[in-house]
Amino acid sequence: MRRATAFVILLALGWAAWDTGADPVRLVRGMPWLVDIVRRMLPPDLRVLPAALAGAATTVEIALLGTAVAAVLALPLAFLSARNVAAPAVFYPARTALNFLRSVDTLVYALVFVAAVGLGPFPGVLAVIAYTTTSLAKLYSEAIEGIERGPVDAITATGATRLQVLRFGVLPQVLPLFLSYVLYRLETNIRAATVLGFVGAGGIGFYLQTYLRLIDYPAASTVLLVTVVMVMAVDFVSSRLRDRLV
Amino acid sequence: MIEVAGLRVVLPPATVAVDGVDLAIGPGEFVVILGPSGAGKTTFLRALNRLVEPTGGAVRVAGRAVTGASVAELRSVRRQVGVIFQQFNLVRRLSALDNVLTGRLGYVAPLASVAGRFPARDRALARECLAQVGLAHLADRRADTLSGGEQQRVAIARALAQSPSVILADEPTASLDPALTGSIMEALRRINMERGLTLVVSQHQLATALEYATRIVGFRRGRVVFDGPPSAVTPSVVESIYGGAAP
Repeated sequence: MRRATAFVILLALGWAAWDTGADPVRLVRGMPWLVDIVRRMLPPDLRVLPAALAGAATTVEIALLGTAVAAVLALPLAFLSARNVAAPAVFYPARTALNFLRSVDTLVYALVFVAAVGLGPFPGVLAVIAYTTTSLAKLYSEAIEGIERGPVDAITATGATRLQVLRFGVLPQVLPLFLSYVLYRLETNIRAATVLGFVGAGGIGFYLQTYLRLIDYPAASTVLLVTVVMVMAVDFVSSRLRDRLV
Repeated sequence: MIEVAGLRVVLPPATVAVDGVDLAIGPGEFVVILGPSGAGKTTFLRALNRLVEPTGGAVRVAGRAVTGASVAELRSVRRQVGVIFQQFNLVRRLSALDNVLTGRLGYVAPLASVAGRFPARDRALARECLAQVGLAHLADRRADTLSGGEQQRVAIARALAQSPSVILADEPTASLDPALTGSIMEALRRINMERGLTLVVSQHQLATALEYATRIVGFRRGRVVFDGPPSAVTPSVVESIYGGAAP
């Protein structure tokens, strides 16, 4: 049985390699071109630094605003899709809807919202909200499902209402987890937001795409450097905050 | 104070945990439910305020129906019944005082309490209850930084904050260092004597049961096999409860 499984997996991977044309020889042949591109990127053209920084600021704003709104919108959805809190009649439709919406990535939402509200950072914010709300709702609801039963029983036994039980028995158990998920999402949203500009949804990605199209590699490398520094800075701050939560 | 008639609890999938129990407990009694683990003591206690839904039979507490009560009625009965758990069941991230304050949830305005606002007299009462179990100095400590014995005393204070007429305690000393058993049971006895509260406490330790109870109810396989004063607990009674395996 185990051998058969291994065989099937190997077969699938082999087929995938053949079908995608994955060929180490081609990679090796392409190496000189890779080196050439890197060489042409150097030195970075620092004249575009102000534009790159402005783009980075927009990207951070998109991620911050989108994540913050989603963190709140996800709360009611999470309680509705937590098995141990919601009634089955609510739980199953809610969980199915979340899984459905979550299967669409931020970039795809961005395409849709650009078509709906036009170019610029605003459709980017909407795209981040759309994806993050569903993904946070899923993470939240799993945290709710993992709580200790004991304190919930104890609060119920005092004659508390359902809302009071959620507030005093459930929320204190899940709040630190919720905050840490929000920060984690902020980190991934910064990364996701860097490419939103590729589809016209604002931020630093717009500059990267523009300079690559103009074959202005020194300018593109400046934008890339700013992107790397921005992502690292947000990761650093966010992980420090998360450490404090636990 | 507590009237139980034909109580039956079947836990999913098909475990008969309580199998037809009739019991009447008067005001001010200190009843110890004695029995080996798996005898149905915990399920019986949890069925008394419907933390576990009874499959059949009737429960009345302080003259009010528990079984068949509406959501609002049930809440109002639960308020009168303080519960102490084997695992303390404090909310870890809340302070000792805030844990005691949750005992007032059945009395205060629901929305204000959800916003974290409690009337001054409820706060004062919570402090008083904490002082009564000797922990006034630990009021602001987070619950999970307290020792097991301290946590169980906070839990007792939480039950007292409900201004209950009955306290149910499920193996309140089983998770504690045996040296602490006496202090917890002593605290319960004081509540029973000074406030005249009715206590129903489950215990698997025979010696502790005999020392504190005014009445022993022996459970075995979900049924009552003995009901009488501690003085009537003879070796053959012990045998009938524990089935030969000495406690």
